[in-house]
Amino acid sequence: MEIRFHGRGGQGAVTGVRLLSTALYYEGKFTMGIPMYGTERRGAPVQSFLRVSDGRIYERDLVHEPDMVVVLDPLLAKTVPVTQGLKKGGLVLVNHPHGGLETGIGGPFKVATVDATKVAMETIGRPITNTAILGAFAKVTGMVKLSSLEEAAHHQWSGRIGEMNIKAMQKAYEAATPAVDVSKVKMEEVKLEGRARKAGERDVSSWRLYRPVFNDAKCVGCRRCFILCPEVAIGMTNNKAVVNYKHCKGCGICYEECPTKAIDWVQETI
Amino acid sequence: MPQKFEVMVGNKAVAHVVRLARVKFISAFPITPQTTIVQYIADMVADGEIDAEYVNTEGELTAQASAFTAGAAGVRAFTATAGPGLLYMHHPMLATRNNRVPLVMALMHRGIKGMDPDQTDMMAQRETGWMMMECESGQEILDTGLMAYKVAEDERVRLPIIFAGDGYILSYTDEPIDIPDEAKVDAFLPPYKTTIPLLPDQGAESKAYQMRQWSVGRDPQTSFAEDQQAMENAKKVIKEVNAEFKKMFGRGYGNGLVEEYKTKDVDAVIVAAGTIASTARVAIDRLQAEGKNVGLVRLKTFKPFPAEEFQRIGPKVKAMGIIDRNISIGSGGWTYGEIRNAMYEVEERPKTLQFHAGLNGKEVRVQDLIKIGEKTLKAANGSKVSPPVEWV
Repeated sequence: MEIRFHGRGGQGAVTGVRLLSTALYYEGKFTMGIPMYGTERRGAPVQSFLRVSDGRIYERDLVHEPDMVVVLDPLLAKTVPVTQGLKKGGLVLVNHPHGGLETGIGGPFKVATVDATKVAMETIGRPITNTAILGAFAKVTGMVKLSSLEEAAHHQWSGRIGEMNIKAMQKAYEAATPAVDVSKVKMEEVKLEGRARKAGERDVSSWRLYRPVFNDAKCVGCRRCFILCPEVAIGMTNNKAVVNYKHCKGCGICYEECPTKAIDWVQETI
Repeated sequence: MPQKFEVMVGNKAVAHVVRLARVKFISAFPITPQTTIVQYIADMVADGEIDAEYVNTEGELTAQASAFTAGAAGVRAFTATAGPGLLYMHHPMLATRNNRVPLVMALMHRGIKGMDPDQTDMMAQRETGWMMMECESGQEILDTGLMAYKVAEDERVRLPIIFAGDGYILSYTDEPIDIPDEAKVDAFLPPYKTTIPLLPDQGAESKAYQMRQWSVGRDPQTSFAEDQQAMENAKKVIKEVNAEFKKMFGRGYGNGLVEEYKTKDVDAVIVAAGTIASTARVAIDRLQAEGKNVGLVRLKTFKPFPAEEFQRIGPKVKAMGIIDRNISIGSGGWTYGEIRNAMYEVEERPKTLQFHAGLNGKEVRVQDLIKIGEKTLKAANGSKVSPPVEWV
């Protein structure tokens, strides 16, 4: 059994794979969790892989034809070809607020969903969705027991952080929607996020969970956000701050720093 | 499970080697993909799990030099690095061998061209006189690290040793790894004792150390001849230590020098090392399931090169497909050259085919290795194959 995880830097795709492989090992399986490392940073699309077997695993290449795909971010399917190589009839588990038919993923596959971002915000207080999606994984696939995952989480984190993550697993276990056939859904072709030729050409709008909304009436033109924005996404027009949403990753520095509270912090919706 | 296990990455397995071997001096400089080794060791030292002097140096040159001097002064020492860091260690590495300090180094392969793994870093240090062992799994990293101390510190050897794994592929891959019992490891690996006294309280009145250093009063070439002899002795010692490890912990890696996988009555073998050998097992299983008579010889020890093992295997097969994750530009692959060299002593020589795979971190998949196996088999059956050197 081979599983591919799609996430963004900071969502815990690597730790998620470690937790799942630990839990599966508790149940007597042999596992191999393979992260893809590069010059990744928070928000950038990342992948990791998991092999599960009854015997020792020797194959050490990457997973190219997974039996299952887990997507930790609702917008990722629009920028990364998440179903590439997925076997026919394979399962896709997506972090998405709606049901399997509304995720935009189509083809000869089954799609199950869970609103892992909502669960993570309620339990952990941050959009780190790995443990929530694992809870749903246990429910949808039946491959691993929730109790084994909880044990693995205890092993990974002691104290309060472990408790919060276990709560996320339990909540997502209840909230997961069952897998539905999506062979009738037509999927838009996804082009890989290519390397931008010039700095600033790359569209990173799908990286953010929150967007800054500027209130011109309150903006006094102090230029603090303009100076502090690490992505140079904020410009000044007529002495008022204007944001270029294509380049905004949603880091929240402008929102924190604005002296007149002229910026609202609005959650992105799908 | 009778033993303590944990799902962990190869780099953490290295930290457990340091803990279990009761290393007393650690100096290392972080470099991707070795960085988390340094982090895990620092954690363990801070938590009191490792009772050692832990020195953060300003670079690999000092890391190597201080670990070498600590070893010379009489404590068990450790260092770890990768790729360019290993190159920066070159000069003190020669000094370590020259002074016969049995230092142990963990190496996570990182190429010279980019960040991705290949063995060109280790190849660049081929002539430093360090022993070199290659691993194919996280478990093997832990086991080889413990064996490395025992081999290096053996009276007949007393040479420094590198135990290596492919960076990223092993350093960051999570696998279930058995952690041996501390008491058992203590029984396997007795405390370190230096044989060349350096400090006055070790009885350093004799000028033995200085004499060796400057070859005073004897043939200037003697120390080289002694080191060569020690390297020859190491072949026997590695076999013994591997057998003893297998007896105590139930895990062994071939005979310590090479491991034969499904080579009974085969016409051809592929020769591979490291993680490529691990994936090659899957390829061999599939080839033999189709009735294709190809086996695998896994090279475990690069230095001392086990020429005798290949002289033993050579006459039994008609062709060898030799895979190198390295190249000496102008000469070809490391193992290819060594095996061809060894075959000069053999009357009935097999054909030898050269493959370069996995350089600069290129992924080596099962189907690539199946193709290598098929091509080698074709050569074994007498067909002409081209090109003689293939970049997979």
